[in-house]
Amino acid sequence: MVNATTTAVSTRRNRLRAAGALAILWVCAAAVLPGQTLGPPLPSPATLKKMSLEQLMDLRVTSVSKRPEKLSEAASAIQVITGDDLRRAGATSLPEALRLATNLEVAQIDSRQWAITARGFNNVFADKMLVLIDGRSVYTPLYAGVYWDVQDTMLEDVDRIEVISGPGATQWGANAVNGVINVATKSAKDTQGSLLVAGAGNQERSSAAARLGAKVAPNLYYRVYAKYFDRGDSMRASGRNANDAWHMGQAGFRLDGETPAGAPFTLQGDGYNGSLGQVGPDNIRVNGANLLGRWSRQSEGNAETKLQAYVDHTHRRIPSSFTQDLDTVDLDFQQLRQIGSRHDLVWGLGYRRVQDDVINTPANAFLPPSVARQWFSAFVQDEISLSKDRLHLTLGTKIEHHDYTGFEFEPSSRLAWSPAPSQTIWAAVSRAVRTPSRIDRDLFSPAIPPYRVAGGEKVVSEKLIAGEAGYRVRVGPGLALSVAAFLNRYDDLRSLEPLSPPNAFPVEASSDLRGRSAGAEISADWHVFPVWQLQAGWTELRVHSEPTPGAGVVRGTRDSIARDPNHQFSVRSRLEFAHAWELDLSLRHVATISTQNVPGYTEGDVRLGWRPKPGWEISLLGRNLLHKRHAEFYTPGSRRELPRSIYGKFTWRY
Amino acid sequence: MALLRILAAGLLALWLAPPGPLRAAESRPEPEYQLKAVFLFNFAQFVEWPARSFRGPDAPLIIGVSGTDPFGAYLDNLVTGEKVGTHPLVVRRYRRDEDPTDCHILFVAASETAALGPAIARLNGRSILTVSDIETFTREGGMVRFVTEGGKIRLRINVEAAKAVDLRISSKILRPATVVTREKN
Repeated sequence: MVNATTTAVSTRRNRLRAAGALAILWVCAAAVLPGQTLGPPLPSPATLKKMSLEQLMDLRVTSVSKRPEKLSEAASAIQVITGDDLRRAGATSLPEALRLATNLEVAQIDSRQWAITARGFNNVFADKMLVLIDGRSVYTPLYAGVYWDVQDTMLEDVDRIEVISGPGATQWGANAVNGVINVATKSAKDTQGSLLVAGAGNQERSSAAARLGAKVAPNLYYRVYAKYFDRGDSMRASGRNANDAWHMGQAGFRLDGETPAGAPFTLQGDGYNGSLGQVGPDNIRVNGANLLGRWSRQSEGNAETKLQAYVDHTHRRIPSSFTQDLDTVDLDFQQLRQIGSRHDLVWGLGYRRVQDDVINTPANAFLPPSVARQWFSAFVQDEISLSKDRLHLTLGTKIEHHDYTGFEFEPSSRLAWSPAPSQTIWAAVSRAVRTPSRIDRDLFSPAIPPYRVAGGEKVVSEKLIAGEAGYRVRVGPGLALSVAAFLNRYDDLRSLEPLSPPNAFPVEASSDLRGRSAGAEISADWHVFPVWQLQAGWTELRVHSEPTPGAGVVRGTRDSIARDPNHQFSVRSRLEFAHAWELDLSLRHVATISTQNVPGYTEGDVRLGWRPKPGWEISLLGRNLLHKRHAEFYTPGSRRELPRSIYGKFTWRY
Repeated sequence: MALLRILAAGLLALWLAPPGPLRAAESRPEPEYQLKAVFLFNFAQFVEWPARSFRGPDAPLIIGVSGTDPFGAYLDNLVTGEKVGTHPLVVRRYRRDEDPTDCHILFVAASETAALGPAIARLNGRSILTVSDIETFTREGGMVRFVTEGGKIRLRINVEAAKAVDLRISSKILRPATVVTREKN
């Protein structure tokens, strides 16, 4: 009897084992199916047949987009989010889209605020991360960091978002310390025709967008768009709503063409107006507008000249706090030139002027209220081919002059070795700086002496020396792996110095902290079948900060400026099945942020998309489905929680 | 937690039992030619041929391929069972010594680059939409050229050449395309 049972159990176990082995074999066999080639797999023939010609022309048939196009990028930890990735993730905002870059820490703070950085020191204004939209910097020189609530565009028209973790100061300049996010929209040539989007849900309460693109002359294309959304409240820990619902309208245009001489040019602009909910008598009001022009020319002898100019105005009125009007003018000149067969030389000049006007309140004041500041910069970079297609060295530096801190040097050297076309091993050493913003130098509280919190000239630039190394490989037809590791050393990190210790106040801003961080970023992209793609990412990070030896007593010493999880992990599955249905699943885990007592969390999203006929798409999205609500950032008292949400969306292209 | 388990189970199920259409993944051409095949399929729908091009209402609309075929069975699978109006779509391949004069769309493969001019001249004013990715194609009198720019496929169309043989190309094709002439392309 006993024997019989044992036999039955072991038979069953064997059967299970056999089934498991078969399953593994099936997967392995499928992964090496013959006839699959490098490059991004296309949708199934059934889906392709339903797409419009415009949509077909928007598909990439070479894997250019996923592979770094420049050598300087090949030797860096770059991740690229494509427009189709955004669509498949059901992203409704740029910060949400950035969750797709596994080398970023992305934490939603409340209904409209986000903390986003690479490689540590995250905050509501992550001050070591530079963000550009179509070449226009959106890093605010008032608060160091990015107002994510006013950074938007027509997401359907986004071509790609490049996310570089690690310093990019040699090319991008000050504040590209821990990373650079580069949002690029499509050329107007690629967004011809009409597009209508409408959606509704419990958090993304209502949204609508429309775009129209057309050709005005043989080599001149334009598009115009307008969008509106209304987003619901986040929650307090008690379960009551946090009164931070908000709505925003935005419109813009882009014109792309070629001069009769064949030089491509772009003219684009956006304007927005919104009302952001907050606790208190009145909402925060924001508006802004920008206009950018870009022109480039190929000339004899493999040289290319690029010229870009933009103006940008932003206005923000925070009742009972301050009102700010910021005007930026920026000019950028670049020339690329091949010298001989070994050198690719790039050099450039830049100028930026900001006029910042603040209306203060008795509680806090930026002093002086109105400031005009200027930056001058020059950079030169040489990509040297040491052994054809195998070994490349990039050397370069940026030299900048800032009104606050004088001259800054941001050199870097990068080495990339490709033992085979499918593999790259790279290493880099770079220096980057974060120059003081007005919040570092000019913020006083209250508005008249005696100050409890004072700014001042003790705040100097934060400096980083970074060492990085990485390995990128393509295994077989459908699997790409990337690993990067880094070691960072920071000096002159911003601190607050108590003026009459042991009393906590008054304090004065200074630069008496230093820091270290180390970590690794691993990502994998596997096209299991042409219709099924898996993406995964894992980041390990350790950040430490301490008072600079010899400095006075510094408040908030140890790890209080490092609000980062030690690790995070995410996995996404993108599946396309018969009759143009798409099922997208994602799961992410973020570890505890110990300095803020934010518990670690695991959350998941599901998207179901259906294309009933060419040009039509209906999708249903469930976001943060695993918990009724969860928190991602901030200390318990001021923390907000994000509820589970459902969103339905309808897209029509003609 | 329960939901997490369901998600994991769902993923596993997908893993173990890939749906049927996946098998069709075998022997696909490069993505570039998959997409070009879909473009040919679209041309069949958005170009109008004169009635005399068809022997009867049920006569097939023939997509021809001359030279070394880059599409393989993918193109055949794509059009099998599809009709344009009453005309079923079929694919025919032509050897160099055959006259491809009975087709409606002719894709000229890159292998024909050297003898391109005579190959086009041989069509002798018939209502055939000629398509290729050969660089000199529209200069030599061809109608539609595929151009790959930034990893994406673009169309350059010589509308005059098509009009000359009574082909009407719909604005659905022309709108996203660049119109060229024999001299300026």
